[in-house]
Amino acid sequence: MVGVVRRLHKLKALLDLKCGPGAAIFPSDVTRIHLEFAYGLAGHLGPRKFWRTNLPRLKFWNPAIPMVINRTKDEAGPAILSVYFREPGSQLQELQTPSSSFHGFAKAPQPAEGERVLTIDMKNLKSDKILEELLTKSGAVPVRPSAQDAADMAELRDLEQIGEVDRERVKKKTDAEKREKRLIAQAQSEAAAIRAAL
Amino acid sequence: MASTNHCLASLARLSLSTPARPTVGPIIPKFLVPSVATPQVRHASGGGGGGMRKKPVKKKKTYKTYRSYDLTPMEQFTLCDAMRYLRAAEVGRPPTTVKYDLAVKVKTHKSGPVLRNAIRLPFPVKTDTRIGVICPEGSALATEAQQLGAVAVGEETLFEAIRRGEIAFNKLICHTDSQEALKQAQVARILGPKGLMPNPKRGTITSDIKSTMQDLIGADEYRERTGVVRMAVGQLGFTPQMLADNIKALMSKLKDNINQLDDNMPKAIDEVVLSTTNGPGFSLNGNFAPTDDKVKPEHLATVM
Repeated sequence: MVGVVRRLHKLKALLDLKCGPGAAIFPSDVTRIHLEFAYGLAGHLGPRKFWRTNLPRLKFWNPAIPMVINRTKDEAGPAILSVYFREPGSQLQELQTPSSSFHGFAKAPQPAEGERVLTIDMKNLKSDKILEELLTKSGAVPVRPSAQDAADMAELRDLEQIGEVDRERVKKKTDAEKREKRLIAQAQSEAAAIRAAL
Repeated sequence: MASTNHCLASLARLSLSTPARPTVGPIIPKFLVPSVATPQVRHASGGGGGGMRKKPVKKKKTYKTYRSYDLTPMEQFTLCDAMRYLRAAEVGRPPTTVKYDLAVKVKTHKSGPVLRNAIRLPFPVKTDTRIGVICPEGSALATEAQQLGAVAVGEETLFEAIRRGEIAFNKLICHTDSQEALKQAQVARILGPKGLMPNPKRGTITSDIKSTMQDLIGADEYRERTGVVRMAVGQLGFTPQMLADNIKALMSKLKDNINQLDDNMPKAIDEVVLSTTNGPGFSLNGNFAPTDDKVKPEHLATVM
């Protein structure tokens, strides 16, 4: 197994799952979230990036809310984000939510009785715009990083800077070594050619 | 007179090109010459006195055990906390394809026996076990094995298929009656590298085909490699309680396994790390409950 310190540095990157754009808590009446978008780039790049970067943070802060993704192969198809809310005063039965699918099998479920849906058209939107729209329309409250988390993040930034300096230094050294090796190999091959010609 | 003598001497030196020092003829190879005869040459950097001495190449130290680390700086997580992070990291992925993996680091010697066994988890992770059975052809055993769901049954026909490279199974067991036939069939060279060769130590040569097959169907194999036992312990859709049961079962089996080994090669469990297919690894501290009081275990059981 990899050493503890190196693994710890990786784990610090868990902060990325915790803090940053998307760290927000939904109001308690949000029951589930469904995303549908396609493989491919035409208009579906933003939704994919939203899923990769922002959705994990939303999931971390709202672990109980199912967040289901349906990916289709139809690039011309829609890219829709649906947020389901419980109507005030209604008691919901057990909700039937499909599991995420990469083959288009998890269609957005019909809202159950006492549930309403809010849809956001994500097509051709950038990920930060999608997030902004979702947060404002659903009334989610952003989470501020705690003092400890902020300190950890600062530490990580410092570490990154030190790493940058080190990387440059090491690159210089390895480049010089490679150059020397190349020159020696060249000289040797030339010498061999001369010897062969004699 | 003296002058002529001097002159002659100088002439002789000119005409006869004998070297000033007598040397050993070139007929004798150098390595046969006794060390007394070879001229002792000394350089400034040579053995005896100081100067620029070349550093001897340090021999890399070899260790008898796998390296184990001091775990005090390691942040350790309860199961539910780790699951919360992992479910966030795996959000939106199909829950049946994403697996929870457990890596158990063992304090152990590099040589000696390894931990290796099969375990039937309380909640099986995968169900695509295909079993081949070696038993006398056309016997009652063969029909029984087929009824139990074996995909390949037989003796010589099965060996022929294996030699042709047609291996339709991913588990192979052998009845004790066919043990001799298996030995003479010379298929170990093909089966061995795939880990399919039946072996009484692993319980795959057996007189009770039925119970062995039943064990195998729900059973997953684990094996210690470079001091770590890795195994899939759950699907992403599992609830915390299901995952905890699986992990407990695996850990107790491992402990049994360690106790059965002889005492010359002591082993001990060092660290337990939970990860998922695409997620980071979390060192577990052995507790279950989430530390954040707003999160309940049942929150981590929702649809992914």
